[in-house]
Amino acid sequence: MSLVSVQGLSVVYEPNGAEPVPAVKAVSFDLEQGDFVGLVGESGSGKSTLGFALTGLSRPPARVSAGSIIFDGVDIAGLTPSQLRVQRHGGFAMVLQSGMNALNPVRSIRNHFFDIFAAHGHVSTRDREARAAELVGKVQLPASVLDRFSGELSGGMRQRVSIALALSLEPRLMVFDEPTTALDVLVQHAVMDTIRELQKSERFTAVLISHDLGMVLEVTERVMVMHDGLIVEDATAAEILAAPQHPYTRMLLSHYGDPRAAVVEVPGLASRGTERATDVAQAVAGGAPVGEPVESQGEPVESQGEPVETPVGEPAPSAPTAVTVRKREGRAARESIVVSGVSKVYPRPSRRDQPVTAVNDVSFTLEPGASMALVGASGSGKSTIAKLITGVEHPTSGTITFGDLRIDTIRRRQLKRLHTEVQMVFQDPYAALNPLHTVEYALTRPVLNYSSLRGRDARRRVLELLETVGLTPVEQFAARLPHQLSGGQRQRVVIARALASDPQVIIADEPVSMLDVSLRAGVLALLDSLRETWGVSMLYITHDLLSARLVTDQIMVLNKGSVVEEGRTATVLQNPQDEYTIRLLDAIPAPRSGAKGGSRHPQESSKKGLRPPATVPTSSPPATVPTSSPPATVPTSLTSPRSPS
Amino acid sequence: MTPTGTTRPTRPTTSAVKTISQGNHDAGANPLRVILRAFLTIWSVPKARIGVALLGVFVLLAVFAPLLAPYGATDNSFDRSEDMSAAHWLGTTAAGQDVLSQIIYGARVSVFVGFVAGLLSTIIAVLIGLSWGYLRGLAGDVINFIVNLFLVIPALPLMIVIAAYLQNGGIGMIVLVVVITGWAWGARVLRSQTQSLRSRDFVTAAVFSGESPARIVFREILPNMTSLIVGSFFGASTAAILAEAGLEFLGLGDSTTVSWGTMLFWAQNSNALLTGQWVLLFAPGLCISLLATSMSLINFGVDGLSNPRLREGATR
Amino acid sequence: MRYLLGKVGLLLLTLWAAVTLNFLLPRLMPGSPADAAIAKLAQNGPVSPSTRAAIEAQLGVPTGSAWDQYLQYLNNVVHFDFGVSYTFFPQSVASLVGTALPWTLVLVGFVTIVAFICGTLLGVLAAWKRGTWLDTLPTVGGTFASAFPYFWTALLLLFFLGYVAGWFPTSGAYGSAATPELTGTFLLDALYHSILPATTILITSLGGWILGMRSTMINTLGDDYVTFAEANGLHPRTVAIRYAARNAILPNLTSFGLALGGVVGGSLLVERVFSYPGVGYLLYTAVVNQDFPLMQALFLIITISVLLANFIVDILYGILDPRTRR
Repeated sequence: MSLVSVQGLSVVYEPNGAEPVPAVKAVSFDLEQGDFVGLVGESGSGKSTLGFALTGLSRPPARVSAGSIIFDGVDIAGLTPSQLRVQRHGGFAMVLQSGMNALNPVRSIRNHFFDIFAAHGHVSTRDREARAAELVGKVQLPASVLDRFSGELSGGMRQRVSIALALSLEPRLMVFDEPTTALDVLVQHAVMDTIRELQKSERFTAVLISHDLGMVLEVTERVMVMHDGLIVEDATAAEILAAPQHPYTRMLLSHYGDPRAAVVEVPGLASRGTERATDVAQAVAGGAPVGEPVESQGEPVESQGEPVETPVGEPAPSAPTAVTVRKREGRAARESIVVSGVSKVYPRPSRRDQPVTAVNDVSFTLEPGASMALVGASGSGKSTIAKLITGVEHPTSGTITFGDLRIDTIRRRQLKRLHTEVQMVFQDPYAALNPLHTVEYALTRPVLNYSSLRGRDARRRVLELLETVGLTPVEQFAARLPHQLSGGQRQRVVIARALASDPQVIIADEPVSMLDVSLRAGVLALLDSLRETWGVSMLYITHDLLSARLVTDQIMVLNKGSVVEEGRTATVLQNPQDEYTIRLLDAIPAPRSGAKGGSRHPQESSKKGLRPPATVPTSSPPATVPTSSPPATVPTSLTSPRSPS
Repeated sequence: MTPTGTTRPTRPTTSAVKTISQGNHDAGANPLRVILRAFLTIWSVPKARIGVALLGVFVLLAVFAPLLAPYGATDNSFDRSEDMSAAHWLGTTAAGQDVLSQIIYGARVSVFVGFVAGLLSTIIAVLIGLSWGYLRGLAGDVINFIVNLFLVIPALPLMIVIAAYLQNGGIGMIVLVVVITGWAWGARVLRSQTQSLRSRDFVTAAVFSGESPARIVFREILPNMTSLIVGSFFGASTAAILAEAGLEFLGLGDSTTVSWGTMLFWAQNSNALLTGQWVLLFAPGLCISLLATSMSLINFGVDGLSNPRLREGATR
Repeated sequence: MRYLLGKVGLLLLTLWAAVTLNFLLPRLMPGSPADAAIAKLAQNGPVSPSTRAAIEAQLGVPTGSAWDQYLQYLNNVVHFDFGVSYTFFPQSVASLVGTALPWTLVLVGFVTIVAFICGTLLGVLAAWKRGTWLDTLPTVGGTFASAFPYFWTALLLLFFLGYVAGWFPTSGAYGSAATPELTGTFLLDALYHSILPATTILITSLGGWILGMRSTMINTLGDDYVTFAEANGLHPRTVAIRYAARNAILPNLTSFGLALGGVVGGSLLVERVFSYPGVGYLLYTAVVNQDFPLMQALFLIITISVLLANFIVDILYGILDPRTRR
């Protein structure tokens, strides 16, 4: 008999005073003892809702409306709360997405364990200290962590503590809901390794809920793909890699690639192999912007083939050929941003701390029309560089110039002049638009502020901008408020706003990290095509090496504020020299490697296409911690991106 | 956990369908429209609806007092300390005035003080809250200290002392005293909201759009704080009404004005307690309580705007 | 430790500001209260030069530079020298305040703590039993009762329970026959007299604490650590108390400190209604008789009491929140 048997399970959301929304629609599946199953889907697919139902945590407004969840012969969907509570010991446990906040801030870690032991009485008062120490040991934390409070721990450590707490129930089923999403890239990798090892040694059945198909394929044996409340595909990882059956799975899969490969391709974005040596920067500087679309570029992304590939009504980006290359009348000649020897030191936050060197002696030149990636984990200083270049903050030392404009010492009054030429695309499209203003207002303001266009002309310009970013019919989108737009559409508005001043440079700070995977390529393709057709240069800030490979020609890798490696994107990623770059590359799951053998880096193609756990001593990240001391991991971002769930 | 990726707790508004050719690009530009929208939002919460209705009654009472009251407020030509009768529904006072007429006229003072003092306190709170939210370093610390001082200093004793110095200053004095002691809470709340809004990306984006600082404050930040501002207005009004009544009860206002507070002052001084004329105590106090309750109830609607979790019925 | 030092520093600074405000108040006011005061005092007999100087220092008659006056005033405050009351001539203000203060401290202090604890518990219960009568009753009742003016609640209780029913004494803190002493009889008598004023303060302030705790508790109930605690099968009582309520109490403590001034102000009116011989009643007497030295001293002592209470709340907060220990 299966450990868990789910039959016709439906969950509805019944928000107060609103129409009930079905979140999970009559789903059925079995889980065997010791299975490691991935549950993949994009935001709104119902995967987390299903995970909460599996562990008996559905709370209003969510409600299990039909079906059964038979766990070891008992239907937990029909249990009373107190019966359910007793079942949790030796039953089912859950690790929440936001493990950062899963710990009671006013209770020591030790007491968290003791509370669980007391609730189920499975560990005697005499043994509980030893048992708690043993449990934190299993997640590679020292026993001294028991004395701490959650505020004193890093994000990765908190998530490890959550896992240890869940483990203390001695569960037979463990559900991990996006366990690493809020963590830094390198920490993610280490925590996932721990989960994998625990699953092997403790032999519980594990369900890994994630939006990241790549990671799930790498870690789990069996994958269920969820879309719109239904499980559309349920197969082994190998089967899904080799022959995905459902078009939605195929679409998801198509958005993965190995940035190290010679040819990288996702729908709508051209591969950028080494052969693509046409230096766009030179072409633009020479006065003839590249108008010719390169390879498959600009092809509408979301509208190819099956209807399932058009999620959330995302409009197709307009083909760049539809927009003529803009002339820059009456403007100064195109200028480079020259950053030389720039450092930024923040004063120590409190007396005990050291001053923080966010950026350390960084120099580079962003040529007109160039596309450069700035990559690194959180805390590497990449966002600080964006603030320095846009004049939001001033460097401690070094100079930044844009033509004759000194950005490093710029005054508040001159900022407007700088922002005419240097604009920014923000990370979070939900935060970057004022919820009270229409799209037209958001776009009209910079047009009025930066051009002499007024009235009818200004409005025509606004509609033009909307068309450029593919938000058609333009009149309709102009009248909308941000909450009436999807995430991808919002990000297009943000891009249109950045273009409104007709800038020479766009700083894009993780522009797609908050979007669903299937929407990312569309926005990236838009940015890329705009760069070519408008001739703007782009500084693309990201932790995602695959997207850097897709839209940039040059790359700089930052670690703790210093540039550790730079060069042509394809060259650096295919042949990384610095250990940090290698670690970043290793942290990327690469599910397509098996399906597309041959395109892989030779040393990596082994074990049915999945990369083996990082066992190579040289590249083993220190994030897989020594057991004696708290892990000295890479600084974890406090403002980790929200996961799209 | 949200079932659809686009669900956000933002209200759908009618302004979305506003045509864009009007030349006016701002969804929140028309003050009438803003007020109407705010009213409808508050009205949609049942508790707040009761509050609005109750407040409406008192406002009407105040405005149309001469029409509604059976006698003049200061007309003392009746028998003294009469019980309730057909001629005097609530009886007469020890000075021979009609209690019902005094209650009706008394609404004028409370509504006026509540409105004016609430409004002035809120204006000061908004100005200080906004600029304080923007200030950092020493200036911010100094304001922080001053606001906290005004928060912890017991307001009523301070009012009593000031009122004692400005002897018999009347309603104007009471409004002044209430405003001096009443702005700090709103300023504190608005400050923290300003701080959280100013670090939002859309404010930075407005800088990139070339907006002036004034425009950023008034068009980007301020409209996002409407619910808090309305909330602090009703909070300040409630406090003002209670404080006014308290001061007059102590005899610190002009005891010849007809207000609920002075009615209680006279009731206590003429020993209505001993004569058993409980209506003299009960009616003015009940009116003060109901007026204050109506504002607290309206604030439930304002709360619901900013905190979806407080919306009714959404049980765990 | 740094938290504690910071709070001590803040307390000293606020105390200084309160004293200074008290110095400035009469000087900012139109007219010369000092002249009125001295004239009034002269009715009781000749005014000695030292008394005159004390009143002038207190009330701001411009002798010497403002700075000298200020130093003189600070010196007086430090030595509890607030001059002579002219309502109760020739008693010193300090001794009058000293007699009144204990009554208020015990009554208001005790009732406020009881009200806060009861209100917090009811708020926890209301949030935990969301939507049941345990939620509706205290919420609706609390909303309504907290809109009652303190003095009105006091008047109603006094009228119905004091005069009409005759269950409780109608004025004073102890019977007219008793003299204040530490005997069981006297304490019982004092307790009996304090029931009505205490009930008034309890009824009127309880609602605020209920509503405040309920709303913060509802917020913490949505926090991830509560969901996680439930997922780990902790006992519901543990989840409610040690996880949700334990965190919700923190912001509420801060509002407790800030709302204290309002409660104290309200209880002054309550003392007036019940002729309870505390600082509130004394303040009322001082105001009615334009006894400015007494009034100023009372305002100062009330403010200082509230500041000290706030300081204690801050220290409690520091103990309850491990995040302040770093």
